[in-house]
Amino acid sequence: MTVTASTLSAPESGRAGWTQGVRSEWTKLRSVRSTWVSVVIIVVAGVGLSALVSNIEAGRWTTLGLVDRAQFDPVRFSQTGVFISQFVVGVLGALVITSEYSTGSIRTTLSAVPHRTTVLAAKAVVVGVVILVLSEVTAFLSFFVGQLVLTAHGGRGLPSNASILSQVRSPTIPVVSITDPGALRAVFLCGVYLTLLSLIAFGIGFALRHTAGAISLFVGVLLVIPLIIQIFPASIADPIERFLPSNLGLAMIEVGTRKTDFAGVLLTPWAATGVLAVYATVVVTVGGLLLVRRDA
Amino acid sequence: MIRAAGLSKSYGSTRAVDDLSFEVRPGVVTGFLGPNGSGKSTTMRLILGLDRPDAGSVTLDGRRFHDLRWPLREVGALLEAKALHPGRSAYNHLLSLAQTNAIPRSRVDQVLDIVGLTEVAGRKAGKYSLGMSQRLGIASALLGDPRVLLFDEPINGLDPEGILWVRTMLKSLAGEGRTVFVSSHLMSEMALTATDLVVIGRGRLIADTSVDDFISSHTEATVLVRSPDPDRLAAVLESSGALVVRHDDASLSVQKLTPDRIGDAAFSAGIPLHELSPQQASLEEVFMDLTSDAVDFHGSTGTEPVT
Repeated sequence: MTVTASTLSAPESGRAGWTQGVRSEWTKLRSVRSTWVSVVIIVVAGVGLSALVSNIEAGRWTTLGLVDRAQFDPVRFSQTGVFISQFVVGVLGALVITSEYSTGSIRTTLSAVPHRTTVLAAKAVVVGVVILVLSEVTAFLSFFVGQLVLTAHGGRGLPSNASILSQVRSPTIPVVSITDPGALRAVFLCGVYLTLLSLIAFGIGFALRHTAGAISLFVGVLLVIPLIIQIFPASIADPIERFLPSNLGLAMIEVGTRKTDFAGVLLTPWAATGVLAVYATVVVTVGGLLLVRRDA
Repeated sequence: MIRAAGLSKSYGSTRAVDDLSFEVRPGVVTGFLGPNGSGKSTTMRLILGLDRPDAGSVTLDGRRFHDLRWPLREVGALLEAKALHPGRSAYNHLLSLAQTNAIPRSRVDQVLDIVGLTEVAGRKAGKYSLGMSQRLGIASALLGDPRVLLFDEPINGLDPEGILWVRTMLKSLAGEGRTVFVSSHLMSEMALTATDLVVIGRGRLIADTSVDDFISSHTEATVLVRSPDPDRLAAVLESSGALVVRHDDASLSVQKLTPDRIGDAAFSAGIPLHELSPQQASLEEVFMDLTSDAVDFHGSTGTEPVT
């Protein structure tokens, strides 16, 4: 029996770094079924809910009052799938690392790449890029499908500089063009929102190392904290609410900045993006510090 | 060459490894023996930089693990056979590992061939039997064609054919001049496979020596003697300086006299002998004796209370 490699000669320079890590992490991500299940859910939920909600809203147009007409937001209808996708990308982001802890394969990973920040960086790049591409494709697909559904109901585009007043007075369902002010940004930031959320779940995964714990905390941040905050009087709740991840998401996706039914005034879209990016950076950094300090 | 110097590691109040120093030389199989829970796996993790020692250091061919540029090409390890994603195919598991160290795909095919998993490489690793998982673990250790190999309990779950295969594999790896460090709690297995031994109990070093020296230096040669007149024979032998233990079935265990001297003494005293057989202590017995006070947990049947 011979086990010697005939073809294996070590590269003269370099080390097991993050380009090799990215290749490896991509292989890992694409070779498990949970990834592809998530992809299907995100695309189907995104496009399907866009068609469904746009269809329902289109039917209601003629019966809507002035205020409802003013808040009629075809872009937001087309991105309804985000409410489901945000949990799916969270699970995907967390699983990338917690599945390694639950199976014990993290020890194999770390004994192949001794610099742990390299492992974290490679995983973050792969998760971030894959989810960004996936959710951007879904967001734009959902947008166009939603507008097609509205158009099929007799909807028309308004002049791109139309005021909210002309939307309220429009006899036909307003359809949004991607070139309308704010539309491209809203659809694009929808994908960015999902990507940043997945990175937050990813960082939580590194910190907690347990799938159930990480997903629970992630869902808690998205769903439970908003409920708890509503218990407080508006003077306390309002300034905090706009900084909750779910409301940052609303701000990023909203075409116009206006008061929503339940929250104080939202941040501007780019400010909201910045705040969410800071959250993601902090959580991933904490996860990375714990990864470096703790025994595997 | 693996060199551990003063390694210590505690988890909470439990001292898993306590001031452990040893050397593992290339070219032979070195057995790493200890009862379950004696710190073998912890030591393996410390060697691979997975856990940080509280004190001491360990080097591989003179370098610390964290300083290796292409770790898989320097040290290959099988820690836990089942520590892989159950939904990923064996091929993709090996490929993802190979990619971290810029090891070409062709080497993945090679190691699959070496361990005999080529046919089932596309199957999910979670569907593998423990024996197949062990082979996959060994394949991953061999990926980078490393000079140093660590195997934690590699024959667990293998059938006799698999055990023989691993034994042959370990010896041939060592024969190629590699450093091969194999942990086991099965002494009899190490007696067959290993040339050198590192023995620990409760995280402390008990012996760092060769298998042969280990047995001979820790056993007193004993001869089992049967005679129709055991009392007189015992008296005769004791007067010649022997240490005699009388058993219930009238046989005697004699130490400090060779079989020749015992036979001669019996002959000259006119005592008939029905049996005169040298007893070879097995590595198992030596090990049990040595580590009995270093075992954390005892079964309640068959063993005497430890003092």
